[in-house]
Order: sequence, then structure tokens, then C-alpha cells
Amino acid sequence: MSIAARGLSPALARINRRAWMAVAIIALITVALALCGIGFGSTWIDPGRIVEILIGEGTRGERVVVLQLRAPRVAIAALAGGAMAVAGYLLQKVTRNELASPGVLGVIGGAGLGVVIFLALLSDESNSLVTSIVWQPVAAMIGASVAIAAVFLLSGQQASSAVRLLLFGIAVGAVAKAATLILMIVGPIYRTTQASRWLAGAVNEINWGEVQVVAIGLAIAMVGVVAVARRLPPTDLDEVSARGLGLNLPVFRILVFALASALTALAVAFAGGVGFIGLMAPHLARLIVGRPVLAGIAASFLLGAIMLIGADLIVRVLFAPTEVPAGTVTAVIGTPYFLYLVLRRGSTNG
Amino acid sequence: MDKAISVKALTIAYGAATAISAVDLDIAKGKVTVLAGPNGCGKSTLLRAIRRLHQPKSGEIRLGDMPISGLKEKELARHIGLLAQSPSAPDDMSVEELVRLGRYPHQTMLQPWSAADADAIQAAMFGTGVSHLAERRLGSLSGGQLQRVWIAMVLAQETDIICLDEPVNHLDMAHQIDCLDLVGRLNREHGRTVVLVLHDLNLAARYADRLVFMKDGSMVADGAPVELMREALIEDVFGISCRVIEDPVHNRPLCIPIRNSSPRFGAAPAA
Repeated sequence: MSIAARGLSPALARINRRAWMAVAIIALITVALALCGIGFGSTWIDPGRIVEILIGEGTRGERVVVLQLRAPRVAIAALAGGAMAVAGYLLQKVTRNELASPGVLGVIGGAGLGVVIFLALLSDESNSLVTSIVWQPVAAMIGASVAIAAVFLLSGQQASSAVRLLLFGIAVGAVAKAATLILMIVGPIYRTTQASRWLAGAVNEINWGEVQVVAIGLAIAMVGVVAVARRLPPTDLDEVSARGLGLNLPVFRILVFALASALTALAVAFAGGVGFIGLMAPHLARLIVGRPVLAGIAASFLLGAIMLIGADLIVRVLFAPTEVPAGTVTAVIGTPYFLYLVLRRGSTNG
Repeated sequence: MDKAISVKALTIAYGAATAISAVDLDIAKGKVTVLAGPNGCGKSTLLRAIRRLHQPKSGEIRLGDMPISGLKEKELARHIGLLAQSPSAPDDMSVEELVRLGRYPHQTMLQPWSAADADAIQAAMFGTGVSHLAERRLGSLSGGQLQRVWIAMVLAQETDIICLDEPVNHLDMAHQIDCLDLVGRLNREHGRTVVLVLHDLNLAARYADRLVFMKDGSMVADGAPVELMREALIEDVFGISCRVIEDPVHNRPLCIPIRNSSPRFGAAPAA
């Protein structure tokens, strides 16, 4: 990253270099885990063999298993986990609060509700969608935006107080989940067998078309993330100091919330409401790479990918052939972690 | 008088409550102006308004000839630096990283970093005597060191005007003097226009070229310390009866408070 490194003193350049080295190692782990994710199933396929199949070799049967059944599942896990993690990183930075994440701020709940309403309205008698799946992320984005806007409006004058945002976020998220549940029970839902996805989040039964939609959306969103990343550093300071440096914080905050909502919506559109990755992955990223922003975003993305690929692998190993949603694993690990953070803050901040 | 900033009929309200009303003030270029007054008099609000952190209800603030309302955020930040009343930054941020943030308003999409930025950071850290702390984490610094680092950040911004909102509030006596001497040097040696909000009247009288007294959101008096440090005026503005003598070291007026004379605190209980 020569651009990021330009103008750094030797000390900061060293910190930055170390951060990117850590990112490179995490990237290798991500690739290794992805190969395991593709390899594991009713028959084990060697990572070496997977690479061969991916570049065009292998029997017809192998190609179907790897390319049609397993690879899209791992790909969506990587993209959705990564997108939520980056959303969490941005939200934690801009609210200056480590508890902020798309789940806690109600964005995941809102996006999930958006998708379920979309499916209920646009499914036909045979439970198949009457329109293009491209609109599914759009519905998720509308749901996510409505949720975050509601959180902002409810927080009112004190929208800059992170605690109020979090409290209203949790409330809005709970309402959205309840509404999702009601719609699933009473509504005609396309692919009702996957009802659990919109509540817990899962990555089974994914096809390449869906992966493609997410990948393209994510590529566009990432351009926004990089542009925003350059302006993120002053948000580490208190509001008056940040504004004193010429950052229009009230406007910038809305921009970042919109971007985080879009990233979350892309993840939720097909993988559903996987919780806590947006909370945990950025924490782990900052623990490993420290303060550099771009490296922190890259590490968050990769760690989020690792977490969802890993969670999916765990449910497959433990419960196959029953499909248990991967989101249950992230929730089982994430909930105690969230409580730990709340209790720890309680003991230091009164 | 060359004006750096002129405030005209400025009124600012928080909801229904008026924080400052109809303030007219010219801030002289290259001088140290100190805003003083009792708690809640609106001095910090005025300072933040000068940096456009409050939207005026009416009136106008001009930077030289330009109304500040017409300037872009970063443009304004290249003219006026602000040290907040209780600034905060993450404990694990390094000193150099914080000072670098002062260059934020000078960086653009096309030119994210220039040699001038590196020079400004070095000069700011040298000028505030924190160069040797560059790699230290903010969490490991003492209060006095930390305040110098924050001043270095504002200095790196290379603005003609520097606003400081109660910069010595949390410092002990030695560091208060140290900090204000530093600010005075920036003014004298670098020609920066300085606007300070100070609580301590004697420090205000010692460091100000010009004093501004505020009370209940209005400007009460404005002039050189020797003109304003009069017993009757201080009693009126601050609600204390006092004696004013000449500080034998700096030849500035020195206020010796005697007792609270303000009716709002009630009469002293009978002994």
C-alpha cells in the first residue's frame, strides 16, 4: 500500500507494514479455510484436487459437487461475513463505541424484515419469485435504511450519544425480528423451508446467480468504503475536535451509516440475519493489526469471512445431514461475548 | 486595528434558551484576546460560534472580509484552529498520529500527503517540546504532556487564528503557566492570532492583550487588562468584592477576591 504509506514517519511506516503483513497472513488462513469448506461434505475432496477442479479439471460429478453445490456456499459465506464485518468496523469507528455493530443497531433486523416483506409480496402460488433476485438486496437495503433512520429519529437530539443509539437499535432490531417471525408464520414465503435463514442466518442452498449479485454490489460498496476510510481518522476524536479539523461530522456520520446499511443489506439479502460477526470481527481485527484504518478494514473483511465460513463448517460437521443455520454458531459465541463487553464497560464506566 | 474576525449582532440560542445575545466584537489580528466571565456567561459558546460550531439565530461572523457561513468546512479549518474544552482521543493512539490529524484540512483527494505536511508536523512537535514523545501512546502521558500534544495538533493545522477553550482547566499551577507561556510564544514568535477562554481572571489579565468580559450572554466590557480590571466592574460581572493591585512581577493588574457579593448565592449564614 504505497499510497497509505506515503508521508509516514519511520515509526508509523513500521506499524503500517506490520499491519499489512498480518493482513497477508489472515488472507492465507482465509484461503485455507475456504478450501476446507469446499472440501468437507458427504465425500472429502483434497484441497489440491479442489484447485485442479476450480481451474477446469476433474470429472463431471466432481465438478457438479464443487462448482455447483459447495463453492457458492463458501463464497457467499465469505462475502456476507466480510461485508458485515466491514459494516461493524465503520460503525464502531464513527460512533466511537466498541458495542456498535449492524446487529446491535437494528440494521440486520431491518434488512431481514425488508427481504421477508419483499418475498411475501412478490412470490406466486408455487412459492417462486415473480421478479429478479437482483431486487432482493434492494429490498434489504430499504429495510436496513428504514431501521437505521428509525433509530436516529428516536434518538432525536442525542443522536451523537452512542448509548442512546445502541438502546434504540436493540429495540428496533427486536421489533423487526418479531415482525419477520409473524410474516413467516402467516405469509406465503418463497422457499419456506429456509424460513430459519431470515431469523438466524444461513448459507445453504446458494447458487452462483446470488453470489454474483452480492459480489457486484460489494465491489461497488467497497469503492465507497475506501473513499470513506480516508476521512475516518478524525472520528477517533471527540465531536468538537473532529469538527474543528474540518470534518462535517453530522453529514459524515449519516454517510457512514448509509454505507454500513448497504453492506449489511448485501450480506442479509441472501445469507440472512447472521449475528455478531459485525461485532466480533472488527474487535479481533483491531487486536491483530492495531490502528491503521485500511489494514483494519481489510483484516475485518477477512476475519468476518473466516467466521462465517467457519461457523458454516461447524454446523456441517456437527449436524450433517440436518441443515442447521450457521447463524446459530455465531449467536452462541457472540451473545456471551456481547454480555462480557457490556459488563466490562459497566465496571469501568459506571 | 487590523481585524482577524468581526462578530456582528450575533445571537445564538439552544432551543428556546438564548445562549448569547447581540454580541458585537472585533478580534485584532496578531493579538491575544481573552474571553472571561462567570460560568454560563456564554464565553465558550461565543468561541465555538467563531469556529462555526453553532448556527447563529441572527447576526454574522466574518473572517477578514468573508462571512464564515460561505466557507467550506476544510477551508474554515485552514483558517481557524480549535482546541476543545475537554478533547479526547483513544489511549492507544500515538502522539505523532494525533499531531498528524492537524494536517487533515490540508489534505485533498488528489493530494493526500505532501512534504509540507511532514514539515508542519515536525515543526509543531518541536515548537511544543513533544518531539521526544512522538512514538508514545497518549494513554501513557501526564496531563501536562497531553495538553502540549493537543496544542501541537492545533499548531500543525497552521492556521492564522487559534482558539483555545479553557486550555488550562485540568492542569496544575506549573503546567498552567507552562501552557499559557507556550500559547504566548506562538502569538509573539509566529504572529498567530489567539482567542482564549479562561476561567482564572488573574491568568486572563496576565496573558491578554485584550480582555472581553461577558455576563448572562452579553458582552459587558472590552479593553486592555488595565482598563477592565477595576474593582467595581469585576464585582458587577463576577459577583465578588475584591481589591485590585499591580502584580509586582509582570506589572499587570491582579485581583484579590474578598467575598462573594452575588445575591444569587444568598446571604452568608450568620456565624
